[in-house]
Amino acid sequence: MNVIEINKLTKYYGKSRGIVDVSFNVQEGEIFGFIGPNGAGKSTTIRTLLALIYPTRGSAKIFGKDCIIEGAEIRRHIGYLPSEVFYYDNMKVIDLLKYSASFYPNVNHKRIYELAEIMDLDLKRKIDDLSYGNKKKVGIVQGLLHSPKLIILDEPTGGLDPLMQHKFFELIHEENKKGVTVLFSSHILSEVQKICTRVGIIKKGRMVKVEEISTLEHNNYKKFRIEMREQTSADYFNLPGISNLSVDEKAVNFIFNGDINRIIEKLYERKVINLIVEEPSLEEIFMHYYEKEA
Amino acid sequence: MNIYWQELKMSVRTMISWTLGMLLTLLFFMFMFTAVAKDVAIINQIMTKFPPELVRALGLSSLDLSTVLGFYGYVFMFILLVAAVYALKSGISALSEEIRAKTADFLVSKPISRTTIVTAKIMSVVTLVVLQIIIYIGGAFVIIQITANQYFHKPTFLLINLSLFFVELFFVGLGLLLSVIINKIKTVLPIALGIVFGFWILQMLNQSLADHTLAYFTPFAYFDIAKIIETGSYENVYLFSDVVLILVFTVLTYIIYQRKDMPSV
Repeated sequence: MNVIEINKLTKYYGKSRGIVDVSFNVQEGEIFGFIGPNGAGKSTTIRTLLALIYPTRGSAKIFGKDCIIEGAEIRRHIGYLPSEVFYYDNMKVIDLLKYSASFYPNVNHKRIYELAEIMDLDLKRKIDDLSYGNKKKVGIVQGLLHSPKLIILDEPTGGLDPLMQHKFFELIHEENKKGVTVLFSSHILSEVQKICTRVGIIKKGRMVKVEEISTLEHNNYKKFRIEMREQTSADYFNLPGISNLSVDEKAVNFIFNGDINRIIEKLYERKVINLIVEEPSLEEIFMHYYEKEA
Repeated sequence: MNIYWQELKMSVRTMISWTLGMLLTLLFFMFMFTAVAKDVAIINQIMTKFPPELVRALGLSSLDLSTVLGFYGYVFMFILLVAAVYALKSGISALSEEIRAKTADFLVSKPISRTTIVTAKIMSVVTLVVLQIIIYIGGAFVIIQITANQYFHKPTFLLINLSLFFVELFFVGLGLLLSVIINKIKTVLPIALGIVFGFWILQMLNQSLADHTLAYFTPFAYFDIAKIIETGSYENVYLFSDVVLILVFTVLTYIIYQRKDMPSV
């Protein structure tokens, strides 16, 4: 069953492009990663789902109901964590959370304290005095306190330290195990890889691809930078699976997808001064996708 | 109801300070009452030296400053001015404050309709205006009793003060409408001051020129204190246009807010 069905959703802000003909589905119980660089249209899509903005064309359904027409009803079962959290400054954390809870029927108030405990959040402090990371924690508790059936996360991890990120992901995993569907937007590929079952890739307002995360992992992209004692020609690394190859005198840069031993074999015959192997950035993966499609 | 209470909690202090401001303005003027009432003949004589247009513009031609209500009616114009700025500011802030403080996403993503939000906001602003008027009338009554040792017709006094309600609602409505039309309002008070003074100048022109069509364009002309004192009632045409405008502003606010995109933070 599809929890989210997006059909040719298009949003223009005046004349500037938000998203164009975005279509994808999110199935019940999955964690769907929504990735793309800044300004690609992730937030625009999410904000339309929540009826914060209205689509120019197309439609979106959540739980089989139209997001705009039946928005209020749908939102009862959605937990939303925006990328930037802002709350009423002169309220205390607990007051804000209670205010938030008051919008939903049958909220178990114990859940607030449980979540605050997990996220190590001081409920008595004023929102105004909180650091960015702590505000984010308020956002997390606020988004989960009413036990939603669908959690929408818009770049949720910014400002959280690694420990908190870990706790946060555990929390999302636990919710997911209970059957909660998650739409997780991010521009950090490794984050999405860690938690999601499927990903949708968006660029310049259009969906480029929707793919199983296992396929993406199978495509084991690595970014290489090799500095050698002697100058090398580009042909030397002419192997299948290499892309974005550039040679700058003694240094070689490329992205490789395949068995890493092939590269190591090549290097074995050479004097290497420095070798850097990294996860490629999302943009570099995107470039790859675009090249493939072109 | 939760939005309504939240809104009241956040704005009640501001309302009280503005009401105290109104009462202090009144107190300041009423201290001069005994002196003015005694020398009203001299004042009237000085007035004859001024061009009649100016005297009318200042609203001094039709009020008898030697009586409590006449004097109060004159001072009341300034009170009305303060109340109008408060009302316009509250009207503009009600919906736009959420956008300025970037809390609109929080509120609008809750399981409530836009209509519910507008209704709760309007209700809270109106509640505050009503509370303000009650506090003000009570305070004004005490101040007048203390400063002016003179009989005055209490129903007329009440009628003068109740015009606050209609004028404030006009500005609340106008403020709400402006807040949904203008996309990014950075500061509220300067806008509110500017608009209220605009209407005030229009009223001075209206009084000076005694032009009846002009009177429809400024709520300050809707409740002519001298006429209220004279007839003991409001003028129906103006009361009617006030109510119609308030309704128009409100309905447009609902319609426009319903379709509005929340700006991204």
